Amino acid sequence: MLSRNAEGLYWIGRYLERARHGCRLLSDQLATMEDRPVEEIDQGWRRLYRAAHRTPLGGFLAPGEEDEDFMLADAYTMADDLTFEPDNPDSIRNCLAAARENARQVRNILGVRMWSCLNLAYLDVRDVGIETIWNDQPDAFYLRTEDAIRTFTGIAVSSMYRDDGWHFLWLGWFVERTQLLAAVLDAHLALYPTAAPHNESDWRALLRICEAHVAYRHLHSHSHRPGRMLDFLVADPRLAHSVRHALARVTETLDAVSAGRSLAVEAGRRAGRMAGAIDHDWPNRDPDDDAATRAALQDVRNTCLLLHQDIAATYFRYEIADAP
Amino acid sequence: MKPDSPARPSAAGGSGPPAAKRLFADYETRPAYYDEMFEATGVPRVHCRELCDALDRMQPDEIAAMQAHAERSFLHQGITFAVYGEEGAQERIIPIDFLPRLLDAADWEVVERGLRQRLKALNLFLADVYGPGRIIADGVVPIDLVRGCPQYRVAMRGLEVPHGVYVALCGTDIVRTHDGFVVLEDNLRVPSGVSYMLANRRALKTSLRNLFRRHHVRGIEHYGQLLRQTLAELAPPGVADPCIVLLTPGGYNSAFYEHMFLAREMGVELVQGSDLLVHNGFVYMRTTTGLRRVDVIYRRVDDDFIDPLAFRPESQLGTPGLFYAYRLGNVTIANAPGTGVADDKSVYACVPDMIRYYLGEEPVLANVETHLCREPEGLAFTLDNLDSLVVKMVGESGGYGMLIGPQATPAERAAYAEQIRADPANYISQPVLDLSVAPCLAADGAAPRHVDLRPFVLHGSETRIVPGAFCRVALVEGSLVVNSSQGGGGKDLWVLSS
Repeated sequence: MLSRNAEGLYWIGRYLERARHGCRLLSDQLATMEDRPVEEIDQGWRRLYRAAHRTPLGGFLAPGEEDEDFMLADAYTMADDLTFEPDNPDSIRNCLAAARENARQVRNILGVRMWSCLNLAYLDVRDVGIETIWNDQPDAFYLRTEDAIRTFTGIAVSSMYRDDGWHFLWLGWFVERTQLLAAVLDAHLALYPTAAPHNESDWRALLRICEAHVAYRHLHSHSHRPGRMLDFLVADPRLAHSVRHALARVTETLDAVSAGRSLAVEAGRRAGRMAGAIDHDWPNRDPDDDAATRAALQDVRNTCLLLHQDIAATYFRYEIADAP
Repeated sequence: MKPDSPARPSAAGGSGPPAAKRLFADYETRPAYYDEMFEATGVPRVHCRELCDALDRMQPDEIAAMQAHAERSFLHQGITFAVYGEEGAQERIIPIDFLPRLLDAADWEVVERGLRQRLKALNLFLADVYGPGRIIADGVVPIDLVRGCPQYRVAMRGLEVPHGVYVALCGTDIVRTHDGFVVLEDNLRVPSGVSYMLANRRALKTSLRNLFRRHHVRGIEHYGQLLRQTLAELAPPGVADPCIVLLTPGGYNSAFYEHMFLAREMGVELVQGSDLLVHNGFVYMRTTTGLRRVDVIYRRVDDDFIDPLAFRPESQLGTPGLFYAYRLGNVTIANAPGTGVADDKSVYACVPDMIRYYLGEEPVLANVETHLCREPEGLAFTLDNLDSLVVKMVGESGGYGMLIGPQATPAERAAYAEQIRADPANYISQPVLDLSVAPCLAADGAAPRHVDLRPFVLHGSETRIVPGAFCRVALVEGSLVVNSSQGGGGKDLWVLSS
């Protein structure tokens, strides 16, 4: 496959997963506004912003500002910032625009339905603003957008030819997911230390964000122990939104694209080492040592960054001398 | 999408809803222009009768709804083009008019024969001007017209192109007047529009399937296959299973949708200059499995931008060394660099003479009478008759830089005259043509609008023409400009098999 096409598909995967993740975080955050106390809502926004490495324009609520009206106005501004802000490269609209632009460049290999689905999702988001969705039902907007992205993946699964294009789409998708999960878990831990007295609903929110609440309940009933929940979200390979599962998919796709080739597959080895660390080192860590846990999550994020560089250098932008 | 319903009961009489207005109720034929559907008496032409009856039984609203649906679908599918210089208009659809234009078998036979003849002569001309230059030596075409043409590429002199084919693809603009078909221009560089021809066909075939079936319309859907076959035939000698790519300037080019569409139809890679590299005289593309040799490049990039080492040095679009590989015969570029010298608006005037010179035949398709402002008589005639002529800039296309004398104000004409005087060689003039009209859906039923047609010709080891064309329409009443960039639309051309 043409390197530029593979790179285009890789970025479609990354941007769509980023947009989907953003929708998920925001719909959950807005749901908390229905009945949760103001401080909890505020903490939720902090988690969101921390995970996104961003600071809200007006800053967070200062102690004593926990007024309901103020909080609502703040939520409006922050949701706007994370969803529509033109200067926020990771806003949902910008992610969809970037995914769509990459898709436009590789349309000849994308299939009409995949393109139409993505194009429509983009046009829907392009044509609305925060005032429209806020006056309507904001969570419905996020659910609809997330559904559109899921429809895209459904069409991909049911129609794409399993060549390198397929593999690079999912490679981008799962590198992104690994990184986003590590970031949100790290942000959560920074705000809700395991040793501190914890509110169950904060941790339940984390499970919901990772689409893990139903599976967790099946396995562990209603026992919301932070250490157990973290183990579940990081190390359970059966959970679609766990770090370990996402890494397994990265390794799998890297194996597929390098199969039978004499490439220097540093990326594959790197992903394998990280997966190994989660299998062997993670269970042996001290679950009460938040610093060690956060360092492990930081390792995951660094690995994602290096993986990205390896992939680009090996498959997308090599020079003649380095050509396989 | 709703199919057509020709068996709609008549609304006349009875106690049903009020009679809907018929599509052609207010349609007026205009004797000055050839009408593609109606005789001068207002009676439908023989081959259009069935279509006319069926359309007339449909409600204009129903057709308008189908049209709007098709246009929405174009937008969703991204069947768009870009208009340069208009902010916010990066992606625009070409509006479709849902009333098809019909061409009977006899008319198509003339068009096809004329196109074959013309392309044959043009290829011989290119081989000649970049080779021995007989036509210049024999005084049929003036030397300065050729060598002075901005599209003449010195680098192509003495170079043997594969199979002697310079122009592998062309899209010739043809109009019809009361006197028959006339060629407006030969697009021999990077002609576009074929994807819109196919998209319009797809939309009409779906919406008007019963009508379509009854008319025995000749198929055009195999264009992609023929294009691939043609390009494969032009591969460098000894390459049995050539690797073909389509070279695009990228996603911001006005015709990017078409590039993407054709690459998909052919099943070849769509590459940009940066995807290619030249190594040891061969062209390669970067793939995820390493470098892969490229044998044939269907380029949709202008000459100037294919290789910064050979042509425009500041170009970011090209691949350094590409022309070197081409000179060595290791890669085929279609169309060949330098073909623009044969579709230059001044050289155009010489095409009938080329046909006579190379083929010893009379041209099947006429040319528009053309006055070259580079010649004193042509300049004088143009300036004296500016109010009745169309003046075009030699190097422009897409309807840009054009003056339509009768429609311009005296001030516009005066300003344009100044431009001509400043650089006469850059202008040609032609009489205003009585372009034929065809019924189009207007706000209040069908109305006549000017049309042209751009059939697409392929030339490899043989000449191939799909029986169809991108039929362009001047959607604005009275307008003669059919270019998509100037508010034109498209309609489907149905070439009937008998």
